[in-house]
Amino acid sequence: MNFLEIVRFEIDYRLRRPYTWILFAVFVAVACLLAMKVLVGEAERAGDLHANAPSLVGMANVLVSMLGLVISAALFSEAALRDHDTRMSSLFATSPITKTEYLAGRFVGTLLVNALFVSVVPIVLMLLMRPPFVKGELLGPFRAATYVQPAIALLLPNVLFTGALLFAVGVLTRRTLAVFATAAFVFLGGLMAEEYIEGERGLAPLAALIDPLGFVALSENWEFWTTHEKNTRPLHVDASFLWNRLLWAGATAAILLFTRWRFRMNVASERRKGRREDQKEVSRARFSPRTFNASFDERARLRQFVAIAGDSARELLFSRDFAVIAVLMVLMVLSLGTETISDDFRTPLWPLTQFVVGFLVSFLPALAMALLTTFYAGELVHRERSVGLAEIADASPVPDWIIYTGKFAALGLVLVTLQAVLMASGLIVQVASGHFDFEIDLYLRILFGQKLTNYLLLAALAMLVHVVVDNKYLGHVLVVICHLFTMFAARFGLHHNLLVYGRDSGWTYSDLSQFGPFLRAVLWFKLYWGGWALLFAVIAGLLWIRGRDRGVATRLRLARQRFGRRAAVATALAALIVIGAGGFIFYNTNVLAGYRTPFEADGQSAEYERRYGKFENAPQPTVTGTKLHVEIYPERRVVDVRGTYTLSNKTAAPIRTIHLFLSPEVETRRLSFDRGSRVVIADNALGHRTVDLANALEPGHSLQMAFDVRFEQRGFPNSDPNTSVVGNGTYFDHDGGGPVNHRRWLPLVGYQTSRELSLAQVRREHGLPPRPLAPSVLGSSSVGDAAGPETITFEAVIGTSPEQTAVAPGTLLRSWNDPSAGSGGRRYFHYATERPVRNTFAIFSAIYAVHRETWNGVVIELFYHPTHTFNVERFAKAVRAALDYYTKNFGPYPHRQLRVAAFPRYANLAHAYPGIIAQAEATGWLTKVDESREVDLASMTVAREVAQQWWGFQVVPAAVEGGPAVSEVLAQYSALLVIEKLYGMDMVQWFLWNKRVEYLTQRSKADHPEVPLLDVTNHANVVYQKGPLVMYTLRQYVGEEPLNAALRRLVATHGSGGPPFATSRDLYRELKGATPPEYHDLLKDLLETITLWDLRTTAIAAEPAGDGAWRVTLDVEAQKFRADGSGKETEIPMNDFVEIGVFGESQNGESSADPLYLRKHRIRSGRQRISVVVKGTPARAGVDPQLLLIDRNWSDNLRPLTVEQSR
Amino acid sequence: MPDLRIRDVSKTYPNGVHALQRINLTIPPGMYGLLGPNGAGKSTLMRTIATLQEPDEGEIHLGSLDVLRQKDEVRKTLGYLPQEFGVYPKTTAERLLNHFAVLRGITRRGERRDVVESLLRQTNLWDVRKQKLGGFSGGMRQRFGVAIAMIGNPGLLIVDEPTAGLDPAERVRFLNLLAELGEKSVVILSTHIVDDVAELCTRMAIIDRGRILLESEPHGAVGDLQGKIWRRVVSRDELAALEREQVVISTKLLAGRTIAHVFRDGSPGQGFEAVAPDLEDVYFSAMSGHYGAGAMAQS
Repeated sequence: MNFLEIVRFEIDYRLRRPYTWILFAVFVAVACLLAMKVLVGEAERAGDLHANAPSLVGMANVLVSMLGLVISAALFSEAALRDHDTRMSSLFATSPITKTEYLAGRFVGTLLVNALFVSVVPIVLMLLMRPPFVKGELLGPFRAATYVQPAIALLLPNVLFTGALLFAVGVLTRRTLAVFATAAFVFLGGLMAEEYIEGERGLAPLAALIDPLGFVALSENWEFWTTHEKNTRPLHVDASFLWNRLLWAGATAAILLFTRWRFRMNVASERRKGRREDQKEVSRARFSPRTFNASFDERARLRQFVAIAGDSARELLFSRDFAVIAVLMVLMVLSLGTETISDDFRTPLWPLTQFVVGFLVSFLPALAMALLTTFYAGELVHRERSVGLAEIADASPVPDWIIYTGKFAALGLVLVTLQAVLMASGLIVQVASGHFDFEIDLYLRILFGQKLTNYLLLAALAMLVHVVVDNKYLGHVLVVICHLFTMFAARFGLHHNLLVYGRDSGWTYSDLSQFGPFLRAVLWFKLYWGGWALLFAVIAGLLWIRGRDRGVATRLRLARQRFGRRAAVATALAALIVIGAGGFIFYNTNVLAGYRTPFEADGQSAEYERRYGKFENAPQPTVTGTKLHVEIYPERRVVDVRGTYTLSNKTAAPIRTIHLFLSPEVETRRLSFDRGSRVVIADNALGHRTVDLANALEPGHSLQMAFDVRFEQRGFPNSDPNTSVVGNGTYFDHDGGGPVNHRRWLPLVGYQTSRELSLAQVRREHGLPPRPLAPSVLGSSSVGDAAGPETITFEAVIGTSPEQTAVAPGTLLRSWNDPSAGSGGRRYFHYATERPVRNTFAIFSAIYAVHRETWNGVVIELFYHPTHTFNVERFAKAVRAALDYYTKNFGPYPHRQLRVAAFPRYANLAHAYPGIIAQAEATGWLTKVDESREVDLASMTVAREVAQQWWGFQVVPAAVEGGPAVSEVLAQYSALLVIEKLYGMDMVQWFLWNKRVEYLTQRSKADHPEVPLLDVTNHANVVYQKGPLVMYTLRQYVGEEPLNAALRRLVATHGSGGPPFATSRDLYRELKGATPPEYHDLLKDLLETITLWDLRTTAIAAEPAGDGAWRVTLDVEAQKFRADGSGKETEIPMNDFVEIGVFGESQNGESSADPLYLRKHRIRSGRQRISVVVKGTPARAGVDPQLLLIDRNWSDNLRPLTVEQSR
Repeated sequence: MPDLRIRDVSKTYPNGVHALQRINLTIPPGMYGLLGPNGAGKSTLMRTIATLQEPDEGEIHLGSLDVLRQKDEVRKTLGYLPQEFGVYPKTTAERLLNHFAVLRGITRRGERRDVVESLLRQTNLWDVRKQKLGGFSGGMRQRFGVAIAMIGNPGLLIVDEPTAGLDPAERVRFLNLLAELGEKSVVILSTHIVDDVAELCTRMAIIDRGRILLESEPHGAVGDLQGKIWRRVVSRDELAALEREQVVISTKLLAGRTIAHVFRDGSPGQGFEAVAPDLEDVYFSAMSGHYGAGAMAQS
């Protein structure tokens, strides 16, 4: 049969081409490498998870499918277009084969080849997932099904579905670009669908259905599994996944049928227009050649260059393809932009130019630009050959280097145009959101300065690759791989930016300090890579294909021939730049700034622990007083601190030896005591110093320690330059477990456990035993770390530039200008606290606008960047409301001022110090809040930081497990209460909903075992997600006032700011005191254990009960589970009070309807029937309608009632 | 062997060009030449007969087969060598020919092997059968196209401008090949090279601007023009005058002087010598409207 012959020929043809096998090899290699990296990476990260866990392998297969899209695009586009491109169509059209035979033959043949490629991957994986490639301890038992199942359920069907789509597009559009664009869409669509739609609660099932790769359906059922489940449960093919496969099978059939219907074999000839011959008489004119002079001088060369560049650019830009691309880019920005301009916590931000541009250069658009760069580079290099003009063009008297530079310039023009398109769409986004402060110069600097440079570097690489590798598709694949390698180089152990093409030390833009400390380094790196790009250009010019000679030997010979003076000069210049810039960079990063690979840096921490960990429990004096004189030089990025500590011996025995930590990042110029001392150990590299006192410090006595430190950045580092002191927006702190980028510059007393390595895996790598308590920094706002709960008196004189304001804790005693000091004068501020505060403080210096008001004798000050006025009122209102509620319910506010200070967005967080709240530029200040649709996280963050003034600073948690329960959980609960007062219960419910989803999702991803709330240390998921759920459930059961009374008592007994320090058990005791006895079990479930419920309303009925009343009967099924740290669950008998609710018709949304009935009933394990009588027509009823008890399936709690049912 | 009957076939392209205007032809088995300038409609007609294009009006029958409506049947006995075609550069001649042989219905392997071998020998490609088609010269590719067209001894063979680009020896060989085939099938040779038609075709038609100007035997047409073609050598200035006075059907440059052929039923006068007409004269006479359908319309 003809069909079989066409299939046979297709397969035969493919398999004979070496290109096919190269593609095959590259694909299998990259796919396996990627899959292994993902599998091993996840397993290493997550402790008990096996690298060959069935669900994990399943997910890795989705990645393979996505990678396979590129291969499918290449294969199917060739299959669809080969006959058209080689102009063989008419030979087939006149053969006695039917359309169906022809199309089906090509499709099936290619499909089989593609399926072959793809099936090899699981086999290779199966062989590789064992020692010595993967460490034995990361593997579970070998099960063939782990690899076979996803191949059958995922890989092969995906090849069929996507192949049909790509083939159809190729056949019907006859354009390669369309096929690749479709593949890109499917790829990105899969990614986006998961991100976007899953966020919207109700649409998750829809996403699962329409995702052609099955990614969403699979990850949906994976989200809430625990480690144990992931290791053992086979790929769970549930209903939504099957529907997805069925839907796509149907869609595939429809697509193929449509293709057959629309396809015309002889379209090419039909579409040909009749050639209108010139019907005039043939002219009898004689040809008499006119003489002219051809010129080949420099000006002519320039004209030729312009001609080539302009002509190539025009052909690329004024084509239908480009218009389509431009439109698609605009659409992409518009559709994603408004959603994606948000901070790390997905809160939308005002579309300031810095954020809009940030999106325009983020992963997705940058990837699109990279793909377009290689695409157009390929087009330019191969253009003449594709249209058959090559031999004419190649024989023309234009030198090779002009051809190359002309085409490169054309590519540059295309990139510029694309950036302009991006900029236009960015402007549209801003206008659409009502923001008209465009900051055009910022657009220009980032899009056309920074980013364009990056793309041009990539363009140089792409042109080189396309010239060297003669095959357009292979060239594309290689360039994409290079680009991906550049982006993920760190995963392969390449950290230094001199080694990875196109990379620089990174930058973040901030409205305060603009390009701040990053610019110089970035420019040097760009220059360095520019030298390489020049070298690439020279090589490409030498190897440029001209004429027929394609062989390697011939091209090398020609290259040698072409290497003339011009090439030599360019090469020399390139070498000069590379060596010069490279050397300068190396000097700065490695010599001056001390470059260390992450492993080396960790090694230092490990060494510190090894050498000095023995001093951990040595009795040390406590800091009780800090006096500082700080000089900040923002333009020079220098900070000088002269200070004195008062150290008191609060132990029962004399102290003879003092251990100190002096950060290696600062220059400690002086360290002395007011009595005789001797330095015993001075390890400047690791920062440890041990001092013996001539006379021991007696218990109860104090001494003075004076020091002088200077911070100055020397050279510039390979990445992450220090951002504590910048031109505008200086922020550095001390001893508060502060944000990542902030160093500890002032001396610290004692051995610092916080300097130790915390991640179990990293500790293993450096040969350290695991640390049980893992007492390291908890998130960004932790006040409960083990750094010593000292209280100090604080006083500081801070000098800074005359136009800046310095902010520090305490009352501002006075401020003055000193015009003679320094260049242009300096300004000074003198702060002092009125009562002792916890030993954590921060110092800010920037050009601020200030909002000042008074509440009840407390001065509230907001220090913000002058143009960031969006939320100043909102913050003030939140601070007032918080102070109001907390003083009424928990106790008085201990200070006379409360300050909120802004700092640049190098770290996106908020952090509390006594009397001061540090709020990052992009956290809160610039949040765009729509209270009708989402939680006012800006106000909530502020309220939480204010609450820390009670929970953390007055009530100080003890440095034991459960500490964060006292500080973080209570702070967040307090903030929620303020939100409830400001906005009502609905907003609280939204917040809790998000927390619930987050908690359950993150549970399954944790890299260490989960613990109950009372035992938390650095378990961020439990503290920040489960915490509020637990507290609000308690509130609903116990009542707001009794709960607050319990908290008040905690403040009363433990709120001195010093010992006794509160533990979670103290909190538990107070809470228990406020809880009625029938809920004591619940209290235990919520706080002392990890408990999950599964509640379902299985059936529901209602019948009139006379008098307008109805009797509603519910069948409820209930189960209760206790989970251990790894997620293994055991069912336990349940006998708890659970709310039963009946609701009437509601206008909008469930929770706004007032319940007809809402009361707690005793619910036991298993089935039970509950009957209630309500006044009013019921519409919905169910068990635990407010979702107070943590349940993984919450959609089955409530059931709707229709009036018919109740007849 | 059935005739090919073309009745009232017309085609107008969307851009307004009247490619074919009421074409009426009956083509018997044998070599049939279709002569005409570029843009005359030859290729359109060829493609229509080859089942690749639909006319706006008209009927075409090959024996009892309705060419327009029974395309699949026609393709079983059709061989088509297009004016422009390409091949898969990376496949060998033997393999691709084999593939098409299967598609054209020669499914039995032994039979197919024989057919492929004989075709390759006939087109003189046997020695290069294992070479990749990408390395073939223009002439070789043309011969390969003929080999494909000749698979299965088609009853209708259409070749569109086949000899353009062939060297003299190749051209002769090619035309001989076609002639052999013409003994048994309908072979339509569409060309603008007059000599091809003169040497081979038993019948011919001249087509211009979508209309048939002349349909006859080449031999007969040449005979018709006996005594009507005159020759004169003129200079450039004289030519303009000559064109005004006489019907100049063609001019040629020869060593700096112009040789004009004039059409006249009877001597134009002094300085003209009679010439034995050839098919080229027939062509030019028809094209200028002085012989054939155009002439009939005129008189």
